[in-house]
Amino acid sequence: MNNFLTFNGLESYFFGITQIFFIACSFLYFIFALIVVKQVTSMSKSVIDKFNVVLILFSFIHLGFSILLILTMFGL
Amino acid sequence: MNRSKDLDNIAPDDEIVVSAPIKESPKETSPKKSESSDKKSNFSQTIYDILGHTKSPFSAFLIRPKILTFAERDENEEIYLAVRPHWINNLSWIIVSILMLFIPLFFKYITFLNFFPTQYQFAAVLFWYLITFIYVFEKFLSWYFNLFLVTNERVIDIDFNNLLNKHFAEADLSMIQDVSSSVRGVFGTFFNFGDVLIQTASEINQINFEKVPNPEKIIKLLKELRDLEEEKNNGGNNNE
Repeated sequence: MNNFLTFNGLESYFFGITQIFFIACSFLYFIFALIVVKQVTSMSKSVIDKFNVVLILFSFIHLGFSILLILTMFGL
Repeated sequence: MNRSKDLDNIAPDDEIVVSAPIKESPKETSPKKSESSDKKSNFSQTIYDILGHTKSPFSAFLIRPKILTFAERDENEEIYLAVRPHWINNLSWIIVSILMLFIPLFFKYITFLNFFPTQYQFAAVLFWYLITFIYVFEKFLSWYFNLFLVTNERVIDIDFNNLLNKHFAEADLSMIQDVSSSVRGVFGTFFNFGDVLIQTASEINQINFEKVPNPEKIIKLLKELRDLEEEKNNGGNNNE
């Protein structure tokens, strides 16, 4: 496949399209991570327990990683 | 003729009136009060006898949890029991998530992926691990916040489905009509968990505690609470 793309000069197009696809996916994932943060916060308000703080913290760490994912996709 | 009580201001012809010190009566404990507190402590003992004790907050069977509470709780409402589905029900997603952790190790054997540069491969692996994490997190949250509560006033079922839907169902103890339980399958019998079905006379016909540990203990507790509720009602009717 590599030879085929290089031979026809399609390599840069292929990786460009892949990068756009990855960026779009990572943006969607970021929105999903925001929803998770919102949901965990509302769950924690509904049922209050000792470890809710830890769970909220995890959701924020996840959000941080989703931002890292976007940055990685842009850096490709 | 007690013109003055202060000894320094007494005239010689004044009649001294010494008022008797007021006896401090010991705190009056009405028999009714002590009786009710006795009843309460007896009932607490009964709960401990039926349910036993739990310490871990991650337990699926929390007896009189001190910290756990919920938004719809009344001021004087006391939680006797908080139950989650038995932990063994988490086994399937735990196994899946462990497998998901190892999947990136096999990426190198897929020749098509080797065509991509290292940066792309790193991004793909990062994405994969984020998906794995959110899968585990979502499953854990669904288990952790899926609670069945028995309080001194009502039974409550709180469910969160797929993080986006909240389901809250409650029924007063006085509204409970029938309670039944079913333990099914090898795992259910081995680990002693099953469903507890509570039929009520309220708008919500039934509340189902699904896959909860020790269903027989829950039934016993509900029976005790219903008896207590009946006693209260009978007492109230007799007083009238």
